[in-house]
Amino acid sequence: MEILVLAFFAIGYLVLAGADIGVGMVLPYLGRTPGERREVLAAIAPFFLGNEVWLVAAGGMLAGLFPRLEGELLAGNPGVVVALLLSWVLRDAGLWLRSRLAARAWQTWWDGVIVAGSWGLALSWGSLLSGVIGIAGPPALVPAAVLAALFAAHGLAFAALRLRGTLRHRAAVLSGHSGGTGEGRTFALTAIALAVVGVLTGTRLPLEAGSSGSWLTPVILALLPVLVAAQAWVWWTFRHRVTGPSYL
Amino acid sequence: MDTVDLARLQFALTAGAHFSFVALTLGLATLVAVIQTRATIGRSAVHLRMVRFWGQLYVINYAMGIVTGLVMEFQLGLAWRGLTDFAGNAFGSALALETVVAFFVESTFLGLWIFGWDRLNRWAHLALIWVVVLTAYASAYWVLVANGFMQNPVGYRREGGVLHVADVAAMLTNPAATVAFGHVLSASFLLAAFVMAGVSAYHLARRTAEREFFRKSLRLGLGVSLPATFLTATFGGIGFGLLQPGKAAAFNADPARIAQVQAEMTALHGPGDYVPPQGWVSAGGITMLAVFGLLFYLSIAGVLLMLFRRAVYGFRLWHWTLVGTIPLPFIAMMGGWIFREMGRQPWAVYGLLTTAEAMSPMTEGQARFSLIAFTAVFAVLVVINYWLLARTARRGPGEVSLGGAPRPTVPERPDPALTF
Repeated sequence: MEILVLAFFAIGYLVLAGADIGVGMVLPYLGRTPGERREVLAAIAPFFLGNEVWLVAAGGMLAGLFPRLEGELLAGNPGVVVALLLSWVLRDAGLWLRSRLAARAWQTWWDGVIVAGSWGLALSWGSLLSGVIGIAGPPALVPAAVLAALFAAHGLAFAALRLRGTLRHRAAVLSGHSGGTGEGRTFALTAIALAVVGVLTGTRLPLEAGSSGSWLTPVILALLPVLVAAQAWVWWTFRHRVTGPSYL
Repeated sequence: MDTVDLARLQFALTAGAHFSFVALTLGLATLVAVIQTRATIGRSAVHLRMVRFWGQLYVINYAMGIVTGLVMEFQLGLAWRGLTDFAGNAFGSALALETVVAFFVESTFLGLWIFGWDRLNRWAHLALIWVVVLTAYASAYWVLVANGFMQNPVGYRREGGVLHVADVAAMLTNPAATVAFGHVLSASFLLAAFVMAGVSAYHLARRTAEREFFRKSLRLGLGVSLPATFLTATFGGIGFGLLQPGKAAAFNADPARIAQVQAEMTALHGPGDYVPPQGWVSAGGITMLAVFGLLFYLSIAGVLLMLFRRAVYGFRLWHWTLVGTIPLPFIAMMGGWIFREMGRQPWAVYGLLTTAEAMSPMTEGQARFSLIAFTAVFAVLVVINYWLLARTARRGPGEVSLGGAPRPTVPERPDPALTF
């Protein structure tokens, strides 16, 4: 049961936050002017805060349910984990700060930080994946690059569902500009692919649960409907396509 | 510095940065929720503008709380594997519950509050901020359950060389956690109250256009500061009764009791240095108490002066004093944390695991790289964010972007009609 709880949050993170990380990666392709980039960011703005909490929760599950694995995974890959955290921090800072000043140089700088942070996150996840499946040296770049490409594709698919006009057209490059159903199908495919990567990686982890699960797991399971309902409220509120810039 | 010192310094810097943002988050969120309640019930335009202005400062500050908090969460497994291996089955559950009971809901609902400003029913929007406030409290509580366990481990059993939870209720009602929670929460109210009073005083001193707006804000800030000082002192006083013997001895610089602690600990745990660094402990404690004393008098004086409208609008010396007071509660809080955490040394989990044993097997190079990288990034981000907070505070309610386009206070002159 502990494994299912951890998997729920980890896969939720990959699928949901994977989309906003991917949009950050392809930001220079989708948005060619500062104004366009702000509209592209509006596609992920209402979601990214609620998306990254899935990883925070997955980290919490590691701490509470799999304390040994927590140490093994984090302390066992110090370089990758530091790179991952720094990318995450910089990307978040970029998203929050970007539109707080109207100056062009400021916005261009933070757009750059968002793109670099998003790539850094995707590649760090890829490297961690290589580490977990036991590939070292130069061949480790292959899984890292594949996973990064998958994040980027997922981001494009998500952007195609959220944006309008030229921006939507650019984002729909993967679904062959076939309109509504094609866009949905591409997103479903990239989402499933990310979930599969998550499950396959999980099978290679030493998932040995600690001793708190007996009382902690039921508590968390009881809370899950509340958490999902809170998230569903966000998805429902922002289910329509972006109509203009948002706070970010 | 050896590896342990590097990792400790990194933890201290990230925790200190994190908490300085978290404290303002806890207090300011509460004040924003109170104002929004007033705005929603009375449909009051000035209170609605107050929600947007103070809410904007809250959101800028919250973002920094998140990014520093992310590093806090993962740093435990990264640099302190000895701690998570040994005690993760015990206090890790508090951290797990923090993420799902508190932070997950807090962040999800805050996103709705920020981005759903004009899309949601105003009562639903009000309910959101209150859920955000309550889950922020819950977050502080769970983190302090984890911290309280390290200060005063209770409700555990030791089996196979590691700790397990034996009594959940004992862990959740650990006085080292509950008293600290009361202390931290009321101190956060005190801090946010002085920030609100200081920013308002700036605008009143500068005679900006927003006189009523900042008169109300000043009075709210000062009005909250006084009960907050009493609560902070009450919980702090109870906390002083719960100090570990080593911390109390180091703070009082009492050679006889220090020698006694050293002898008792040596008898229990073998040879070693069991006295916390006295300089840090007493400097932290004294800073906290001295600055608190000053804040207490400023709060009393402020509550008296704010009763006189002429003082509120015209007493500039007092205004500038309040502006200069803004950093003080932050300094007092840092002093308090240094006192609490330095005073626990050499233990990571008091009496059970030393800080040196809690380290991950890192090389010095790894520890140094991690310290330099995080410190550099956070130093830049902290400076940028405080600059942005100050700038946003200075520019006043007219230039706030939270909650849609800024609505001017005075009706704008109608645009001249285009003629062709």
